[in-house]
Amino acid sequence: MSVQVAPSASLRSETRVPVPAGRRRLHVARRAAPALVTAIVLVQIYPLVWVFLTSLRPAGEFAAGNPFSLPTDLTLENYRRAWEMAPLPTFIINSLVVTVVSNVLIVGLGMMAAYALTVLGFRGSKVVLGLFLIGIIVPVHVALVPLFITYSRVGLLDTYQSMILPLAGFSLPMSVYLFSSFYSYIPRETYEAAELDGAGPYRIFLQITAPLSSNTVITVVFVNSIFIWNDFVFANTFVLSENLKTIPLGLQNYMGAMGSMDWTATFAAVCVTVTPLLLIFLVLNKAIIYGLESGATKG
Amino acid sequence: MLRTKQRTAVVVFLLPPLGLYLLAVVGPILYSLVLSLFEWDGLSDMRFVGLDNYRQMLFSDDIFWTATGHGLVYLAVSLFFQLVVALMLANLLTYISRGRELVKTVYLLPAIVSTVAIALMFRRIYSLEPLGLVNAALGAVGLDVLQRPFLSDLDTVLVAVSAPEGWRFAGLYMLILYAALIAVPKELEEAARLDGASEWRVFTQIRFPYIRPVFLTTAIMAATYSLRGFDIPYLLTNGGPGHASELLTTYMYKTAFTNTDFGYASTLSVFIVLQCIVAVALILGVRRTGRDAS
Repeated sequence: MSVQVAPSASLRSETRVPVPAGRRRLHVARRAAPALVTAIVLVQIYPLVWVFLTSLRPAGEFAAGNPFSLPTDLTLENYRRAWEMAPLPTFIINSLVVTVVSNVLIVGLGMMAAYALTVLGFRGSKVVLGLFLIGIIVPVHVALVPLFITYSRVGLLDTYQSMILPLAGFSLPMSVYLFSSFYSYIPRETYEAAELDGAGPYRIFLQITAPLSSNTVITVVFVNSIFIWNDFVFANTFVLSENLKTIPLGLQNYMGAMGSMDWTATFAAVCVTVTPLLLIFLVLNKAIIYGLESGATKG
Repeated sequence: MLRTKQRTAVVVFLLPPLGLYLLAVVGPILYSLVLSLFEWDGLSDMRFVGLDNYRQMLFSDDIFWTATGHGLVYLAVSLFFQLVVALMLANLLTYISRGRELVKTVYLLPAIVSTVAIALMFRRIYSLEPLGLVNAALGAVGLDVLQRPFLSDLDTVLVAVSAPEGWRFAGLYMLILYAALIAVPKELEEAARLDGASEWRVFTQIRFPYIRPVFLTTAIMAATYSLRGFDIPYLLTNGGPGHASELLTTYMYKTAFTNTDFGYASTLSVFIVLQCIVAVALILGVRRTGRDAS
């Protein structure tokens, strides 16, 4: 759909052949749309642009200035202060540990469950799939009190595991569904051929099903990484010590008492913590958007 | 389906994922159900109280009803961004020929920012002293009378804490709706245009009916996620001032971890789960009647 309509051509055709009203209105819509789209997108994105610009602007200028003005001076001073105010590298490492381990669990276990449910198949597989559906509907908050009580009994409070367990558990259902729906498209013949060659269910999983899943893996990992990297509620409930804090908890360190906040340094810290996801997002952009679109429209 | 030696393979493949899921999700849900029948502060002995917690919640807890009402406002505000504005933008996007990928990417960006960062940002956006973005914008267009500290004004605080939730995921739903819209057969639209239909009618008579199933799926996703909204209101106002922006989730959290009333908190979380199930059932009901009618 990249039809470019030259205005002069359409004017000429209107004078000669009567053009249906609908077609004429289409031209109007085509001309008005870019302006409207630009306006909506600008409003949507401006807060983020503003945070980024603020992070580069001298603290004094920000306090005094109009929030819509462009910075006159650019400085990295805020980033230096942000770095001093809190152990950012520790937060980033903690977030990485939690995100990577959870993702390995979600992808590995998700593929295994989907393989058992869709490829191997057994009586009652629909029931199990339904059981997994509960995890998509149920809000994570319901698990907070029970897990808190259980953790404090078995001494799991304030550990990486305390965050990883519920984060992986609640992400697993979506992963199982995405892999299952993908596996249902792999033609039977692929498996039959492998079986004739004498491959058992384990070899088929490792050599055929798993390698074919790479696109779905990207979608699953990206969607879950957003959720896990940014998780606040589990970390806030189960983690107490400074050296286990993930990025979202760490960012709270910048929240001083009202009024005494170092805004420019805080926004610099925000920019630092967003960067890893942003880079992944920009690199995998096409694959992610494709995955999200196709994943949801099939459902 | 494979034919050989399946039984053990099924167990080997299914047991680890199912184990994690039962441990982290199903177990806690059942535990919540049990806890909701007890009175317990976490230290002294648990006391079985039957349905007393439910009776208290439904009949003598004003905050519970206030928070439930607020939840509906929260839902309406975030659905406005995630379904109405997103659908409008998705539809407009089909009319532009260049930069679609850029728009999709940029519009999705807020989704990758953590709720803590969003809360920090919006605290400054809403503030009056120092002048935040919203108040500055109002001043710039001469609407000084509307300027106020949005997060401490009782009339505006609820909408103010709801809007960021709608804002952050609008891009995701826009993407899904856009993908559905471009799948609408072009012949149908062309035929309508040749009959003189306006673009508004093309949208209401052809496009929207065609994407209705996807729209309803999107609505389910958006509604269940909005009903569990917690982080942003908790971080921005913690339900305050007073209970002016209290949601069931923030109320539940405070009941559990500030008042350490684990029994009553579990009752509240059981209700939150029921609410999500009802929302999904309602929308699925709409979807079914729609299918029967057509």
